[in-house]
Amino acid sequence: MARITAGVGTSHVPAIGAAIDLGKTQEPYWQPVLAGYDWSRNWIRQEKPDVVILVYNDHATAFDMRIIPTFAIGCAESFKPADEGWGPRPVPMVQGHPDLAWHIAQSCILDEFDMTIINEMDVDHGLTVPLSLLFGQPDAWPVKVIPLAVNVVTYPPPSGNRCWMLGEAIRRAVESFPGDLKVQIWGTGGMSHQLQGPRAGLINAAWDNRFLDMMSQDSQRLRAIPHIEYLRETGTEGIEMVMWLIMRGALGPDVRQLHRHYHVPASNTAVGHLVLEPVR
Amino acid sequence: MTADESREDIHAYLAAFDDIPGTTVFTVARARQGYWINQFAMSLIKPENRARWKADEKAYMDEWPLTAEHKAAIQARDYNCLINMGGNIYFLAKIISTDGQNFLHAVSTMTGMSVEAYQAMMLAGGRAPDGVRSIKEGT
Repeated sequence: MARITAGVGTSHVPAIGAAIDLGKTQEPYWQPVLAGYDWSRNWIRQEKPDVVILVYNDHATAFDMRIIPTFAIGCAESFKPADEGWGPRPVPMVQGHPDLAWHIAQSCILDEFDMTIINEMDVDHGLTVPLSLLFGQPDAWPVKVIPLAVNVVTYPPPSGNRCWMLGEAIRRAVESFPGDLKVQIWGTGGMSHQLQGPRAGLINAAWDNRFLDMMSQDSQRLRAIPHIEYLRETGTEGIEMVMWLIMRGALGPDVRQLHRHYHVPASNTAVGHLVLEPVR
Repeated sequence: MTADESREDIHAYLAAFDDIPGTTVFTVARARQGYWINQFAMSLIKPENRARWKADEKAYMDEWPLTAEHKAAIQARDYNCLINMGGNIYFLAKIISTDGQNFLHAVSTMTGMSVEAYQAMMLAGGRAPDGVRSIKEGT
């Protein structure tokens, strides 16, 4: 039986990707951002997951205004790092896991989640920056990746509770997959940031840290946070944090926090990172 | 929690967005209003379009159903104005990267602060939420 063995939460700030690509990680500005991932890089080398279900949002890259899927699952053999306007990141092709991806798609649809199935898609910094943070700069990514793109750009995005329930459905899907696979689920984006308007630059470290606490301590409160609270307290782009709830929902009722990191700033954004494992 | 308990009234849901100071939420109304601003900006994701745009911005914009107001704001790189007309920052980011402009710098232009002051604010922990949560409540 395939099983979900761990969850990872992390910001996916594009400037972090650029810092890694340009060899700036030891600069005083970037060093404390990256230092919080040292533990996780060692951990994942030992964990050796077979597949990562990587929940992220597309930032007007694969999807423009013509098509806006709420939940889109990437079922292709591979996914090319996207050109987001300054040329593609110099990172390896992302290898998919079509067997498991199609299985999750069909299982979730039967479970009443109307997934959009994507068979051709370039992946942007939302997906590749978390891979760089956890795996560094290898010649090939050491895991298969199933991209799960969530609309958090055009309102309304899915509610936190809906994200949580999708996570639960993904767990049922993984556990019904015939094949012995070690699967992780990552929720990415956030934490506080607002990239537009006179209020840009908003950071709410106290709220972000309560959110990180709730990930392992108060799931009922966590899944009920309304969109307006994310917006008021953490900025317009803080809404990305609903994607962490898909990861959290997939881990089951109780989790143990293995690692935690929080740093301000990376560019306009607060960086948060968690490693969680399910308690059975 | 059941679906009924979590269901929100759509009008109250949307109205609350207008109560956040200095903030524009990308609702479907704005997505419709700014459709061509965003599709135009999106086109710059292709290198051949970036080259044509750089060679002649006016001629490139004329290929799109943009109004004179849209074109003036695009040429002025007035991102607050573009967002008020339905532009979305992730689409507008394509103009920013084509310009080779640092993203933090572009964001700072919307705040009325110099890029140096904005950068210093971020290094000091960012803009505190106190006083900018709600217009009505003044919190």
